[in-house]
Amino acid sequence: MILELKNIEKSFGEKKVLTGVSFKAEGGKAFGLLGRNGAGKTTSIRILMDVFPANSGEVLIDGQPIDYNKIGIGYLPEERGLYPKKIIIDQLTYFAELKGMSRKAAVQSIDYWLGRLGMMEYRNKRLDTLSKGNQQKIQLITALAHDPDIVILDEPFSGLDPVNAMLLKDVVKEQITKGKIVLFSSHQMSYIEEFCDSIAILNNGVVALHGDLHDIKRDYPRDRLVVRTETPDVIMADFGSSCAVMDSGDLMISLADPAEKKATMTRLVENYDIDEVKIFEPSLNDIFVEYAGDAAKEE
Amino acid sequence: MKQFGKILKFELKNYAKNKAFVGVTIFLMALIAVIMFFPRITALFESDVPSDTTSDLSVMLVKADDPTQADMVKETFAASFTDYDVQITDAEISVIKDRITSGDVECAFVMTGATSFTYYVDNLSMYDMNPDIATGVLQQIYQMNAMINGGMSAEDAAGVMSIQIDGEVESLGKDQMQNFFYTYIMIFALYMVILLYGQMVAMSVATEKSSRAMELLITSAKPINMMFGKVLAACIAGLVQLVSIFGSALVFYNVNKSYWGDNSIIDSIFNIPPDLFVYMLVFFLLGFLIYAFLYGAISSTVSKLEDINTAVQPVTFLFVIGFMVVMFSMSSGSVDNLLMQICSYIPFTSPMAMFTRIAMSTVPWYEIVISIGILVASTFGIGILSAKIYRVGVLMYGTSPKLGNIIKAVWKA
Repeated sequence: MILELKNIEKSFGEKKVLTGVSFKAEGGKAFGLLGRNGAGKTTSIRILMDVFPANSGEVLIDGQPIDYNKIGIGYLPEERGLYPKKIIIDQLTYFAELKGMSRKAAVQSIDYWLGRLGMMEYRNKRLDTLSKGNQQKIQLITALAHDPDIVILDEPFSGLDPVNAMLLKDVVKEQITKGKIVLFSSHQMSYIEEFCDSIAILNNGVVALHGDLHDIKRDYPRDRLVVRTETPDVIMADFGSSCAVMDSGDLMISLADPAEKKATMTRLVENYDIDEVKIFEPSLNDIFVEYAGDAAKEE
Repeated sequence: MKQFGKILKFELKNYAKNKAFVGVTIFLMALIAVIMFFPRITALFESDVPSDTTSDLSVMLVKADDPTQADMVKETFAASFTDYDVQITDAEISVIKDRITSGDVECAFVMTGATSFTYYVDNLSMYDMNPDIATGVLQQIYQMNAMINGGMSAEDAAGVMSIQIDGEVESLGKDQMQNFFYTYIMIFALYMVILLYGQMVAMSVATEKSSRAMELLITSAKPINMMFGKVLAACIAGLVQLVSIFGSALVFYNVNKSYWGDNSIIDSIFNIPPDLFVYMLVFFLLGFLIYAFLYGAISSTVSKLEDINTAVQPVTFLFVIGFMVVMFSMSSGSVDNLLMQICSYIPFTSPMAMFTRIAMSTVPWYEIVISIGILVASTFGIGILSAKIYRVGVLMYGTSPKLGNIIKAVWKA
């Protein structure tokens, strides 16, 4: 299953929020929708979920306009919130029923998820008696209980402790394995890098970069080497100005020509005490800053 | 449709679980029951107390310088003021005053001539009719004396004075007096219910928005289902509450019917003509819905619970103005005045204005049809519009948007 947004345009009043936004997300893979605050991520998600229509453009599933009666969408909004004063099982059932589940199926599925997330003991408690992290786990159930085809997670890891983050990672991986389209929106690049095969970076309502994360990284010129060594001083002395110390303490050696890669690597390994040598690939963080950072300079 | 059903059920459950809602309903039912049992309870106590004790009566003093006048006044006053023990006195005025202020005597009439008197009382009640009665009695005495002095026999004079006029009133339209009470009750109930439940709908929408449950709701359910589900649930809850209260009134009235005697007011309330009852139901439902939609839509644009009251004020004003027009027209007796006629067609005032006119005056059928037609169409229109405002409004955070911006946003959405 392929979800595709095609040439989406959206304005609120005079303000243009999205300009020709297009991206594709595939089933069985996670997709990262990145962008700085106000770049148009939430608006894109809302259009995708039919909260409001786009001025123009299409939302397609396998090339056909999406049928919201057939395609289930699960959503974990960035702004978390349920009914604070209501019993957890009651409100979870209500939300699942709104998505078209029968009562029985809803309760069954919710009980599975409560168990899976270790929340069974809170089943009949009021939501506001729970800690923030646990409330977030409850909210996650509203996104998953109705077994949706598309799972949209907006900042899913914020506010979770490492143990719960691990639990969520497992759940997300499981959803991906099930062949679902998992759409991430986050500022925590490390998670995106860990999960997402492809990304789209939005900048001021325009898709600044879109594609397979691996390909994007490969497209960068492969003319720098990262060297980990116990004797940086010796190497620095020999390589002179083409060698610099990185923030991590590793050395970065710039090559005059990418073709020199093999020769330089051999030279390093044979002549020095090297722990590790590899081609430098930009991190998602670097890429993000490069593509989404322009606006920051302009502002 | 299925989704609408789920929302309606969920919202209704909220009312059923709302302790304040259930508590107030039960309290009002109990209160009505007590009121309805009141005559039976008082009758129970009255039968034990002998009723012919004069010592219980409060004392009314009569002072007249002319002894013949004094005798005559005492006799006629005793007949007119059966609630008082009428006594003749020769005491000084200052003594009389003292006795009144001490509470020994309730009031006193001091005759200052054949046609004049001074009435002394401690605290003059708003409803004290004694001077009026005394005036009537003295007038009668004077007229009779004049007739006797003019040569008429005492019997003839008494005959002239006590002549009875047989008059019959036949109303070809409505008897305003008879319909006044249930019209009053209906208008008042509508007023209370709209303000109360309108607020409840507004609170429910704004709470969902401020707790951000809205983020999930708006992506799970159609706004039109949300709006209609919420408003209809409030409407059903309101009706259930009213039916419980009036139902308990009806049941307990019938249980105690014999003790109420011929109380025409109570009778007129419970003997509402069926056609008028149907009109009451129609106008009540439509009036309730149209305002509940407005309250729901407006509260969806509010970000903080504290701002609800300010935001809904214009609607409340509109409603209170309509209520005032109807109430003043009712008490002035001219329910068909121009203002009321105009109000009968404006959907926000017609539920009260048109119903009042139907109940207390004669309105041609086509006027009723037009009024209800406009109201039904507007209710649906406002319902759909409110769902649109809701969809745009719930996603607006920050300062409350201006009316113009909302209209613009709804127009463009």
